[in-house]
Amino acid sequence: MGEVVLACEGLKKRYGDLWVLKGIDFEIERGQTKVIIGPSGSGKSTFLRLMGLLEPPTEGKIYFEGKDVYNSGLDLNMLRAKIGFVFQEPSLFRHLTALGNVKLGPKVVLKMKDDEAERKAMEALKTVKLEEWAHHYPAQLSGGQQQRVGIARALAMDPDIILFDEPTASLDIELTWEVIDVMKDLARRGVTMLVVTHELGFAKEVADEILFMDDGRIIESGPPEELLKNPKTPRAREFLRRLIGGV
Amino acid sequence: MFTLENFLFLLQGVPNTLAISFLSFALGFALGIPTAIVKQFSPYGLGYVADAYISVMRGIPVLVIMLLFHFGMAGIIPLFKSAFLSATFALGLRSGAFQSQIFRGAINAVGRQQMMAATSLGMSRWQAFRHVILPQAFIVALPGLGSEIALLIKDSSYAFVLGVLELTKYSDIVRKATRSFLYPYLIAAILYIIITFPVANYLDRLGSRLKTKYGLR
Repeated sequence: MGEVVLACEGLKKRYGDLWVLKGIDFEIERGQTKVIIGPSGSGKSTFLRLMGLLEPPTEGKIYFEGKDVYNSGLDLNMLRAKIGFVFQEPSLFRHLTALGNVKLGPKVVLKMKDDEAERKAMEALKTVKLEEWAHHYPAQLSGGQQQRVGIARALAMDPDIILFDEPTASLDIELTWEVIDVMKDLARRGVTMLVVTHELGFAKEVADEILFMDDGRIIESGPPEELLKNPKTPRAREFLRRLIGGV
Repeated sequence: MFTLENFLFLLQGVPNTLAISFLSFALGFALGIPTAIVKQFSPYGLGYVADAYISVMRGIPVLVIMLLFHFGMAGIIPLFKSAFLSATFALGLRSGAFQSQIFRGAINAVGRQQMMAATSLGMSRWQAFRHVILPQAFIVALPGLGSEIALLIKDSSYAFVLGVLELTKYSDIVRKATRSFLYPYLIAAILYIIITFPVANYLDRLGSRLKTKYGLR
């Protein structure tokens, strides 16, 4: 058993009168890759934002390396620095080059010297195969390249885990592949990853576990070969039939 | 008769017009950014102070502020014995309120997603604001700032009432001396356009160019 990096217990989230998350228990160990699938509106993105400490839960607890995040006087910003986040929406800082984007965190948050931060950033850009694009602005990059810079930006912080919120949902198929290839590469290198995606190829190849979310709950989970081939719940079966069949 | 000599005499008002406009713009800039920040974050519940400042400045004609400073408050604040400084501070204070609104709009235009991305890296709200939001907001604000400078250049003419020797005052002097009623003011009008146009236009174009470069809306 590896060390549990991130976990939650009885996690609930309410917006107004609407319960978006209705009680989630979850944990992920160092080096694991877990994939979340499920229909839109099932609470996947909300769950990820909560685990990324970008929003507080209404009820329940989140643990980072065993410590109760919201009840032990921990500095949230310090924890966020250790949890990488890759967004669905374009989120690069538009006034900075690819390199500027990747090195800002190490410089401002980790207080690295400029040349040290730059080395770190170039290394991260190399990992996503964009070192030649280092001096381009986001507006000059394709959607796929932008997402890869976003991944590099998370990597440069040496995070303990990276959360991906449908990183390819707004990309064309070919751009999707280049992003997915980078993510597979990271998973194989042992980066701990929690990924919301409907790229089942990715899930099949690198996921240790797939979680199926519906209506604010994880209603089924298991290793990919099991969950994708023999989903137990009718909801998961129906969802996968449509996802794979495209109907 | 309006002569070349009159024209050259009238030109002597331009430096003061420029000085009042640009100094009050600088003052407004120095007040506008902190006001926008206070309104945005409301530290220690101070948001209402920013609101009050903006409402008051929006509600009083700038000429009345000038008169109040120079004639009403010179006894309390010696700075306002100077007509020039009274005019500059009046315009600067109002501009601070207006510029804070320009920056507020620009900050909102930059969008929540940028803040969220900065937060996810572990930046504090202030760090995110300083390194991510403000640089982009400044670009978005450029055209608005151009209009604000144009407004200040034109409204610097109110200083005439306090007796400041600026362009409008000079054109009035020339009118009295020459009994030419049309040309002094017409030339002044043209000079205001000549001063205003390049500044406002430059900031407009710089704004569009940078917005395209950085893919900002």
